[in-house]
Amino acid sequence: MPTMTSCSNTASVGRLQRGRGPANPHPAPPGGGFFALLFCLFFAPVCLAAAPPLEPIPARTVLVNLPETGVSAAPTSQSADALAAEVRHQLKAARQQGDPRFLGYAQRALDQWPTARLTSELRLLRGSLRQSLHQFDGAEADLKAVLQAQRSGPLRSQAWLTLASIRLVRGDYAGSRQACEAFADDYPGLIAASCFAQVDARTGQARAAYERLSRAVHQSRSTRDPVSRAWAEGTLASLAAQLGLDAAQTHWRRVLVMDPGDLYSRALYADWLLQQHQPEAALALTQGYEQVDSLAVLKAIALKRSQQDDRDFEQRLAQRFAEARWRGNLLHKRDYARYLLDVGQQPEAAFHYASLNWQSQREPLDTRLLLRAASAAGETSARQDLVDWLADNHQSDARYPETTP
Amino acid sequence: MTRWLAGLTLLFAMAGPALAHKASDGFVYLDTSTEPSQLRIDVALRDLALVVPLDANGDRQVTSDELNRARGDITRYLEQGVQLQAGSRNCRLVGQDWGLSRHSDGPYAALRYQVRCPADAAPDQLRYDLLFEVDSLHRGLIQQTDGDQEQLAVLGPDDHALSLDAAGRSWFSVFADFLQQGIWHLLLGFDHLLFLLVLILPATLARHQSTRDPKILRSRLWELAGIVSSFTVAHSLTLGMTVLGLVHPPSGPVEIIIALSIAVTAINLLFPVLGHRTWKIAFGFGLVHGFGFASVLEELTHGTSERVLALAGFNLGVEAGQLLILAVIFPLLYAISRYRLYQRAAVPAIALVVTVISLYWAAQRFVALPMMS
Repeated sequence: MPTMTSCSNTASVGRLQRGRGPANPHPAPPGGGFFALLFCLFFAPVCLAAAPPLEPIPARTVLVNLPETGVSAAPTSQSADALAAEVRHQLKAARQQGDPRFLGYAQRALDQWPTARLTSELRLLRGSLRQSLHQFDGAEADLKAVLQAQRSGPLRSQAWLTLASIRLVRGDYAGSRQACEAFADDYPGLIAASCFAQVDARTGQARAAYERLSRAVHQSRSTRDPVSRAWAEGTLASLAAQLGLDAAQTHWRRVLVMDPGDLYSRALYADWLLQQHQPEAALALTQGYEQVDSLAVLKAIALKRSQQDDRDFEQRLAQRFAEARWRGNLLHKRDYARYLLDVGQQPEAAFHYASLNWQSQREPLDTRLLLRAASAAGETSARQDLVDWLADNHQSDARYPETTP
Repeated sequence: MTRWLAGLTLLFAMAGPALAHKASDGFVYLDTSTEPSQLRIDVALRDLALVVPLDANGDRQVTSDELNRARGDITRYLEQGVQLQAGSRNCRLVGQDWGLSRHSDGPYAALRYQVRCPADAAPDQLRYDLLFEVDSLHRGLIQQTDGDQEQLAVLGPDDHALSLDAAGRSWFSVFADFLQQGIWHLLLGFDHLLFLLVLILPATLARHQSTRDPKILRSRLWELAGIVSSFTVAHSLTLGMTVLGLVHPPSGPVEIIIALSIAVTAINLLFPVLGHRTWKIAFGFGLVHGFGFASVLEELTHGTSERVLALAGFNLGVEAGQLLILAVIFPLLYAISRYRLYQRAAVPAIALVVTVISLYWAAQRFVALPMMS
């Protein structure tokens, strides 16, 4: 049975007043629709289901631009190769546009294929899909199955590298290092060097890792492999930010020149700019990326810090989180926690979501967010657990200097 | 191999965690507090375009003309994908208006329907099957509003049916619920209590002195039984007829007549304009009170498919409440009826007070009537 949640209505949006009934358990929302929306977002349990108004269809207008999806309702790929190409296309679109709908199309394409006939390539793709959906256990299982079946070759290398990435995000540094080693055996180079550098940086050797990777990049300047270069630059940027070096900015700029669609680096860079008290620059960087949750939240923070107002944007963002909370499962807890902490001034709720997020993701951003939320909410023992965890891993970060072991 | 691997590498290892905008959701708003229930379905235009030929000229844009032309296809698609049932029988969706709505990720087509279920029952089951054939992460976000309760649910490909609230209850719990409602309504609905009081006053008057005479007591009890039974038979008759949809008097005038009926019965105690046969008065006005009970029951039975069961429970509840009151009041009044003061002062005073109250109610209800224009 689907889970049902109950809440008193009307708290949602003032416009919808439904006569009779017991007194509203929540005080009346102050002001107009936007405040009602914010109000509900922070105070009511799961409210905010009020339907947006129905508007007439305007005459002779372009209502929406459709993205190229490559999706059809008819049964799709007949061969494993064709299916793999289709799924790869969807995953690529999901990454480039930050749009989870493409993950849904990929999942649908894989779902209609019999599990018994999954090839290693399809399993690898399913592992990547599950990684994107934060289904890390399922992802690791798929990748291990690929490693079982493939004793050599590019699929095996790819499986190791993806495994290294998942384990890094989960904070399994020993497991991640082991996967990096296995990857490096088959495929030495800048990507392998970046793989090691990330693990080293999170286990107490950030400075050495940064210098080693910088040298490796310098030595391989002659190689004409832009993908490896962008990969290494992105890693250098993260490490520089962790070390508190201004060079982080230079590295991120290089990444974004090579690949403006690298949303991950863009978000890290915008966040770094906010920490450097440059909200205007962060605004410029997030401009046009409002559809991506992480960048939209950073934009909202930048707006607030530069004392600007964009009522329409803020309302849209509040509505997006309200709908995501209704939906429940695919909610990006990191972004929502950040939003609650820095836009909504709701430290307790922020702490709740930040801890849920930290259960599955332990990147520096996740850790920093939980530390800040715990401090703001006065959760000293949770904060201490986190500080202990950082000390156990010898992890230090210029972005949370107070915890340096 | 280098190129292939590198391309894949960057694609996957770095993808994942940080990003996302909204996934695909369809919104279903079901209001079961009205008769018939109202349904609204919102589906994103870009989602609809995957399953309905929206972009007729293939230019990757949807214009308002294209949307208007696709209305038939859209309705067909939605109606096969969202199904409501009452008692395992399909309800019919009757299209109302449609338009655009704006959710956080862009424009949606929004369609409104009336839900017509067999035997005018309220829907008790909802199935949602939109878009799963192209997007496994699509979800149906369902909101059911019933009076002041709101239920939210999320339906997905593995979990696409929802039992609606107030449905699926055992017949006993429905019956017990309405039995209780009937008792409460009689005890807390002041006007029926006052009417009952003025009705039974004549039966308490022991005209021939000694209240201890068993013969007299027996005749009083017979009279009481006659009055109460004829009131019961009359209001059950009209209550049943209204709830089963045979008649449908407007509730405003009914409420006024109920108030007036109390006044007239009270006045009749002092000046017997309607005669001494109280059981006849009880029957005549009982018919009107039945309409009054019916309008209460109508409100309560929204969202219930077991109307007959509800009717039976409610009616028995009203009778039980009635007997409860009589069991307390009648012995009391009968005991004091041998005092002259009771007959000379108390009864007229009661009659007067009740008359004033009920006339005041009648005036109040008259003022509250919607103005005819």
